[in-house]
Amino acid sequence: MPLLHAEHISKTYPNGTQALKGIDIEVEQGEFLVVIGLSGSGKSTLLRCINQLHTVSSGRIVFDDAEITALKGRRLRQARSRIGMIFQQFNLIPRKTVLTNVLSGALARTPVIKSLLGMYSAEDKQKALAYLDIVGLAQKAYVRADNLSGGQQQRVAIARALMQDPKILLADEPVASLDPSTSHSVMKYLQKINQELGVTVICNLHFLSLVRTYATRVIALKEGQLVYQGAPSDIDEQWFKTIYGEDAVEVSIN
Amino acid sequence: MTEHIIAQPMSIQRYKATIKAWCTDVLIWSYSCIVLFKIAYQQWWLDLRYVDFSWHEPLYCFVVAMVLASVLIYTRCSIGKALFGLITFKEGQSIFRASSVRLALVKLLLTFAAGLHVSQVSMHEFLSPSGLAGAQRIFSALLSPNFAIFEDALFAAIETVYMAFVATALAIPVAFVLAFFAARNLMKHSAASFALYAVIRFFMNLTRSIEPLVWAIIFSVWVGIGPFSGMLALFLHSVASLTKLYSEQIEAIHDGPVEAMTATGAHPVQVIWYGVVPQIILPYLSYTIYRWDINVRMATVIGLVGGGGIGTMLMQYQGLARWNEVGMLVIVIATIVWLMDYASARIRAHLK
Repeated sequence: MPLLHAEHISKTYPNGTQALKGIDIEVEQGEFLVVIGLSGSGKSTLLRCINQLHTVSSGRIVFDDAEITALKGRRLRQARSRIGMIFQQFNLIPRKTVLTNVLSGALARTPVIKSLLGMYSAEDKQKALAYLDIVGLAQKAYVRADNLSGGQQQRVAIARALMQDPKILLADEPVASLDPSTSHSVMKYLQKINQELGVTVICNLHFLSLVRTYATRVIALKEGQLVYQGAPSDIDEQWFKTIYGEDAVEVSIN
Repeated sequence: MTEHIIAQPMSIQRYKATIKAWCTDVLIWSYSCIVLFKIAYQQWWLDLRYVDFSWHEPLYCFVVAMVLASVLIYTRCSIGKALFGLITFKEGQSIFRASSVRLALVKLLLTFAAGLHVSQVSMHEFLSPSGLAGAQRIFSALLSPNFAIFEDALFAAIETVYMAFVATALAIPVAFVLAFFAARNLMKHSAASFALYAVIRFFMNLTRSIEPLVWAIIFSVWVGIGPFSGMLALFLHSVASLTKLYSEQIEAIHDGPVEAMTATGAHPVQVIWYGVVPQIILPYLSYTIYRWDINVRMATVIGLVGGGGIGTMLMQYQGLARWNEVGMLVIVIATIVWLMDYASARIRAHLK
């Protein structure tokens, strides 16, 4: 039984844009799956359908033996809490400390009243500090999150996602706003989480050089359809042109 | 270029635009006809003191306007056509050379002239010797204020400031909660919540469109003349204004943190508390202090209709034509308003 199983999912936005057109994917436990494709090919929509930030128009997604596309209310929130997510723009809470941001990953298991008062369990606080240590930001716990650099903010976001004890980590272009060396550092943290903590990662990426370094498997989307599925080393010149168009030239970051 | 594309025979859109243009022209010309006839001809030219009115007159004007508009729609003199993009303005030429624009300017001038007449603007009255003597009398009295009532004025002013403060403080929690229901981006997701949004918006707009002065009159009948009625009036108006300002702030937030909190599996209340509130708290404080500042000023005016505080005192002395006392009150009011203005500006600058 795969960890995640998407059956023929389609997504049409209210404005008529068809972002996904019948996609089938299976994701096994422990994979580092990278999704590639042009801007607007449906990569972000696919990730947001997995944790139901967007509802699918048709098809179904089964995650961890439950049909997440059919869940509502508390049960949906519980399912979401087992799926971490990081974003291109980091999406940290402004004007709050790094520690508060990381602790917000534990909201799903904290009673509403306690969370409004900022009362997290001692266990969660220790865990938050431990995860900050893993992403190398233990010194910054009481610094305001918006005072950190882009790469540091993304690492805070990773720690926040880890607070959820996720089975899957969704990463929506996690390095698209970062410079090349910071990109590698963030990607290395994702790899570490994947290999050492055994968290399955599904990641949208733009740069093929990053894909070849970090992915264990690649899928490619084009205009909302799955056009490639395979090992990262198998993406040759021909496939590259199919995915990105005839005129595309590969740019690499090192 | 775009003008050219519109000018292509896209028949249905052109038809619609032409109909809209014609209707606009009819309205504009009806207005012009009635102003020319009632104000320019009857009141000014014939100098009639009491002008009779019958509903036939606007009807005739409407008919005349329809005829005029039907003719003008074939020319370049149609203001409606210019408004709905049916006239291509020549590139590189000032738009004031287009006949439709010139015609619109003439209408504006006509309105201004009619306005001068209706407002009874008269340099003769303004500079008449008896009038100037009166002005001198009142100004000299105002400039020699009666300091005997200083303590009373001060206590009344303090009453006004407290009244404004309580009204603002009570309005904050109400507006804080209502603002979430009045924010489009949070309420658009389901039909039921959107209906609630529309209802709250409607009542808030209604409340806001009625001046606090009118609310004060209503409440002075309800709870009696005094600071309490003034406070209630300010409270109601502040709730409506703060709800609008707060909800606009909520509508302007970044979606990112909201999305991130939703993705952690947080409860909607937690999503708002962690994803929305940190983004809006500073602008909220800034608006609220500004509101208090406005409320102090409004409280003075509301006092004039019996809302208590220094305004009521001002009204009493003004009724007795005791201008020296009025002068004292004006000084106290100006000082309070200036102080509030200064303090709120300083605090808000630090909140940025």
